[in-house]
Amino acid sequence: MRSVKWKEGLETVLFTLPAILLVTVMMYIPFFMSGYYSLTEWNGIAKEPVFNGLDNFRAILSGGSEYMGAVWFTVKYTIGFVVFTNIAALALAVALTQKFRFVNVFRGIFFIPYIMSMTIVGFIWKFIFTQGFAKLYDLTGWAFWNESWLGSPKLAFYSVVFVGIWQALGFYIVLYIAGLQAVPADVLEAATVDGAGRCQRFFKVTLPLLGPSFTTCIFMSLTNSLKVFDIILALTKGGPGGATYSATLQIYKDAFTNNRYGLGSAESILYFVFVLVVTQLVLKLFSSREVDL
Amino acid sequence: MTRQKRRFLHKTVLVLALIAAAGFYIYPVFLMFMNSVKPFGEIVSDAISFPTTLAWENYSYVIDKIDYFRLFVNNVMITVVGIAGIVAFSSIAAYILDRRRTRYTKLAYTVIITPMLIPFQTIMITLLKSMNVLHLSGSRLGLGVQYWGFGIPMASFIFYNFMKTIPKEIDESAVIDGASTLRTFCSIIFPLLKSVTVTVIVLDVMWIWNDFLLPLLMVNSSNETKTLVLAAYTFVGQMNTKWHYAMTAMVLAVVPSILIFIFLQKYIVDGVVAGAVKG
Repeated sequence: MRSVKWKEGLETVLFTLPAILLVTVMMYIPFFMSGYYSLTEWNGIAKEPVFNGLDNFRAILSGGSEYMGAVWFTVKYTIGFVVFTNIAALALAVALTQKFRFVNVFRGIFFIPYIMSMTIVGFIWKFIFTQGFAKLYDLTGWAFWNESWLGSPKLAFYSVVFVGIWQALGFYIVLYIAGLQAVPADVLEAATVDGAGRCQRFFKVTLPLLGPSFTTCIFMSLTNSLKVFDIILALTKGGPGGATYSATLQIYKDAFTNNRYGLGSAESILYFVFVLVVTQLVLKLFSSREVDL
Repeated sequence: MTRQKRRFLHKTVLVLALIAAAGFYIYPVFLMFMNSVKPFGEIVSDAISFPTTLAWENYSYVIDKIDYFRLFVNNVMITVVGIAGIVAFSSIAAYILDRRRTRYTKLAYTVIITPMLIPFQTIMITLLKSMNVLHLSGSRLGLGVQYWGFGIPMASFIFYNFMKTIPKEIDESAVIDGASTLRTFCSIIFPLLKSVTVTVIVLDVMWIWNDFLLPLLMVNSSNETKTLVLAAYTFVGQMNTKWHYAMTAMVLAVVPSILIFIFLQKYIVDGVVAGAVKG
């Protein structure tokens, strides 16, 4: 009997071991290494990193550092992305759950940018903002087309947010469609019988029942926009004049371009804490407001 | 106006608005395809009109220049290796974690899924260093193996939640018939996981196939090991103003995904929704 139990225990360990080993090697070890390097000064070439305590963190948090600028950019980007993506996706999802022919073709069209690589999406829009808009200006003479959409810091921000939303919108549309289809028809019917109009039905019945979809979509859009990297690299490379550096791009630049691995590690640890706190807070806030039937 | 007429009108307006919105929405993709077959002079003078002459030679030039078929094989190889490991290791771990339920499995579960909270950018610097030590950087196979580590937390979580819905009696009867644990898993449990396996595959294929940052760090140094997106990124960078070649390279990079999506739309959309709701 004892040996059977022992064998079972061995099996349990053996079958879970590959997964544990792999996440340890790929995630935990690098994570703790980052923790250590964040306390050092290291250029990646010298043999040993030099321990310098909390100097990196002090340098980052002392204000005016490029990293804090990049974090601020990421916060603004995230707010713009989360708000507009969710509003636009919900509106389109409502339209795309009506019954008409070829509705699946329409859903497919909105989904296509999402399956394309973000890098390519960035390049497509770079082309449109430069070549395409120039031609449209020739044709129409409207000042709108002649603005420097990637060249001025302020406009470049809007361009980046816009392209980010364009790429990802289809994903949130299908999530909201799934949520809308899960709203029970009998509840809506009951509301109709009670004399609720279209708008009332939507705002008083459908919307509150979409709670779980909101939580999912807001959480996903939040984590995805906090990680924004590829699109910016392809679209603006962080420019003009560093105006569109996101937190992740800044970490990449400090570590791999400026060879300041210690500083980059400290930034990446701060980034981890920041993302963790923000996502958990938002998750708590939204799931506590969900309504059950 | 009667109620029916009004409803018809509503619907017509809605459909027309949707056609307009969808048209605008997909226009950039269309523009990319159109400009990929324009000769250089035309693309510069007019980026939005239809091409007057079709420059298919853009394609032969770019396919040759970036070694397209090799890139394609690289992508397939990395994706297949990555997916195979993620599915195999996650599903079997999830099976044991759900069925055995001891102090050890509780801890193991936490250890396996917690890394979902670590953003990739937090570990990328030191990851490169440790992968150099393990000789997993600079090779396609090594990159595929790395995806195992990054994919397992999420996949295990999804498999684990699904395992709970499979009645224990099913595998218990197999064990009574004398099947080993591994055998029970392979021939009885794993086939029952089909729907959730599809979800995991869809999510991970979309992620690995289009991933940029990890390949940039790991396999960018040699043309032999580059992925499609990576090669397109480098190529477009070099082709600074030669937009006709850049467009062609971009089309070549996204065409596989678009084709797969057109054929498997239902599975992909269902998988994405299921993954988001469960994940």
